[in-house]
Amino acid sequence: MKRFAVVFLLFAVALAATVFVPASASADEIKMIGVITKIDISGPDAATATATLKDNKGGGLVTVIVNDELTLDKFKDHRIVVGDEIRLKYEVKDGKNVSKYFRKTAGC
Amino acid sequence: MLTTDGPGKSLRARAKGEGSVKRYPIVLFLLAVTGSFALAKEHPGKAYIEKNGYHGPSTCEAQGCHPGTAKMFLGTVHWKHASPVGNVDNLTPGKEYGMKNRIYTMCNGNDIVNNLKEIPPNPKTGKTKFTGCNTCHPGNHISDVGSTGKDAENAIDCLVCHSLSYDFRLRQPYKDAAGRVVMGQDRSVKAALSVGKPGVKNCMVCHEAAGGGVLIKRGFAFTKETDVHAAKGMVCVDCHAAKDHRIPTGFDPNNWASDGVRVSCGDCHEASPHQDKDLNRHVARVACQTCHIPKTGGALAKDFTRWTQGPDGFFEPTTLRKEANETAPVYAWYNKTVTNTPTFIGPKGSRGDKESKIYPFKMYEGKAYFDRKTGKLLSMDFAPPMATGDTLAGVASAAKTLGIQEYDPVPGWQVIYFGSSHLVTKKRALSCENCHAPNGVLNFRALGYTEEEIRKLTSPELYFDKMAEKQKEDW
Ligand code: HEC
Ligand code: HEC
Ligand code: HEC
Ligand code: HEC
Ligand code: HEC
Ligand code: HEC
Ligand code: HEC
Repeated sequence: MKRFAVVFLLFAVALAATVFVPASASADEIKMIGVITKIDISGPDAATATATLKDNKGGGLVTVIVNDELTLDKFKDHRIVVGDEIRLKYEVKDGKNVSKYFRKTAGC
Repeated sequence: MLTTDGPGKSLRARAKGEGSVKRYPIVLFLLAVTGSFALAKEHPGKAYIEKNGYHGPSTCEAQGCHPGTAKMFLGTVHWKHASPVGNVDNLTPGKEYGMKNRIYTMCNGNDIVNNLKEIPPNPKTGKTKFTGCNTCHPGNHISDVGSTGKDAENAIDCLVCHSLSYDFRLRQPYKDAAGRVVMGQDRSVKAALSVGKPGVKNCMVCHEAAGGGVLIKRGFAFTKETDVHAAKGMVCVDCHAAKDHRIPTGFDPNNWASDGVRVSCGDCHEASPHQDKDLNRHVARVACQTCHIPKTGGALAKDFTRWTQGPDGFFEPTTLRKEANETAPVYAWYNKTVTNTPTFIGPKGSRGDKESKIYPFKMYEGKAYFDRKTGKLLSMDFAPPMATGDTLAGVASAAKTLGIQEYDPVPGWQVIYFGSSHLVTKKRALSCENCHAPNGVLNFRALGYTEEEIRKLTSPELYFDKMAEKQKEDW
């Protein structure tokens, strides 16, 4: 009896989560500046890659999925490499961090 | 092979001979043809390079292929970062100008005072890095901007513009055994085997980050979202078609150096390009760019007197950034001659001058040190402020390099107008009400129209019936 209630409650929570959370999460664009510690790309024809950055504020690691062609191309020919500092904007979509903006910070 | 004698040129020449209506299909057809040729046709030098390796320009010129190319390249703006300039005020006659020696506030130095070097270590982190304007030069730095002779010829990085598989890890500055700072190149066989007509990304190696970072100078993104021509698959050299490496440019008031050849919208498009004659009546006084490039982008302003420390400990000029298409241009009459004073670089022209048209400009403001004694803008070596934030140490270092003994630095602002020639759109092109409504984008008064004329030019009378008709069609 008790168990049913728990299960039901969990179900209700899950439902609420699926209904409400994605909407609010995807509206949020997170900005950070960090240094690339890792780039994973499967080859010259890859249509997606992941990059891990160490956040300059606090040093936490953030892994993002990169889908835009221009940035992918820069990974492929090494115009962007591990060690580069990046200005990043990303969104959380279905629990994954998806890059919206991925630029080297380097200036004059 | 069409690509070898400059497809744009032949395409234009041919298009010009045809009836006006047919011009587009022909241009497009030729684009498609040259594009597929470039892909389908194998580089005739393939076997030679596979067998003998790639050793730079000497390989390109071996066996009678591309003879004299390197020598000719040494005479271009891309190598010299300078050229004679005929349309700008207050220049010394006979002297050449460009990134090599100019001083302005988008980047407050030049190739000479900011020669590529290792900066002093950051006091906090002890770290150092290489910096210098001449990283955007296709040489190896030993043979630097404007150098001549056999060594210079051999140092040209042909592949940075011509290879589709260049490995940019190799294009980094480093110190050689003799302690000289060298700019690396990818001279691998792999890179040499994929030579072809330069693609957008080849040009963007340097052009994307001009002005101190990605899209900083004018928000120049060339993608299918930001430019109708990119959306049609065109690349830089379809318009900037070069012969003997003289790459045509326009009349950007702030980009003075040229190889003596020019490109304009009218090279490919009719003088009266619209179905709608109400639009065509404007082209005599309103430049194509004014309606077709309604937005600009890049940095609004920079402060070279106070640098901002980044998380890595190094300092950068404090910069207000904007993306492509994020800022509104300013509009001014322009007759392709340029006012050049220490505090203003921008277009000359007026309504009364029949050579002038209304053009859009990206307006930029830069703060830097001026010499109180002469009123002239001083330049800055970036190495000291990059390491420590000490901007006056940068001015002192540059003054030393230039042999300036006495100066009295005071901060001040310079205004620069940048030309706006890309980010072309048809969908978002300005229409009647964008200019003729009372709150339109043009300041008719500042442009020299009388109150009486302005009343007419801002009356719905001009466009009411037309727009009412269009509204009917749209729904
Ligand atoms: C190695 C860096 C580099 C590459 C690669 C490069 N440019 Fe440039 N380009 C420059 C620099 C630096 C200047 C400015 C020099 C000056 O004005 O002193 C310049 C100037 C120009 C100009 C104006 C002056 C002129 O020569 O007419 C045009 C147009 C131009 N580039 C087009 C191109 C195109 C098209 C490509 C690709 C085929 C390209 N560039 C590739 C660095 C580069
Ligand atoms: C990332 C490549 C790059 C770097 C680094 C670079 N430039 Fe340039 N610069 C360009 C290009 C490309 C142009 C021409 C195209 C344009 O203006 O959009 C140019 C144009 C210029 C011009 C106008 C030249 C003319 O013909 O009138 C000046 C002045 C200039 N740069 C100064 C500097 C200074 C000073 C530095 C270093 C502090 C610097 N640049 C570093 C790429 C670069
Ligand atoms: C700054 C970029 C750049 C560099 C560096 C460069 N090229 Fe080019 N090259 C071009 C452009 C732009 C064209 C014209 C493409 C067009 O109009 O389709 C061209 C065209 C050519 C052509 C076709 C024939 C012609 O002259 O128009 C050959 C061959 C060539 N380049 C060889 C070389 C060699 C060899 C080197 C090194 C010595 C070199 N290029 C360096 C940009 C460059
Ligand atoms: C559809 C044709 C077209 C294409 C494609 C094109 N340009 Fe241009 N570009 C022009 C015209 C036209 C001008 C000069 C306009 C004027 O000043 O009247 C110009 C001017 C320039 C200038 C001088 C500075 C300025 O912005 O006015 C540079 C540098 C330049 N282009 C580089 C490039 C590069 C790099 C690419 C590719 C990423 C490119 N262009 C693609 C037409 C084109
Ligand atoms: C080298 C030739 C060339 C130059 C230079 C050039 N264009 Fe184009 N332009 C084309 C071609 C080709 C097309 C595609 C035509 C088509 O698809 O019907 C095009 C398309 C366009 C369109 C969209 C037309 C449509 O029906 O969708 C506009 C607007 C335009 N150009 C404006 C300009 C402006 C403004 C300039 C100068 C800044 C310029 N062009 C410079 C060749 C050129
Ligand atoms: C007064 C503003 C204005 C000026 C100046 C102007 N255009 Fe346009 N142009 C437009 C508008 C608005 C459209 C879109 C018309 C539509 O969607 O029906 C357009 C459309 C076009 C088209 C597509 C063909 C068509 O009839 O729709 C081309 C190509 C073009 N312009 C090129 C140019 C060139 C090249 C110049 C300079 C010689 C120029 N335009 C000057 C406003 C202008
Ligand atoms: C980029 C801004 C701009 C756009 C867009 C524009 N105009 Fe104009 N228009 C002007 C300017 C500037 C003049 C004055 C030109 C001159 O001095 O000869 C003008 C003049 C005129 C005139 C002549 C007025 C007179 O009294 O001589 C008419 C009519 C006109 N425009 C109608 C239109 C219509 C209709 C449209 C839309 C299809 C349109 N304009 C779009 C800027 C614009």
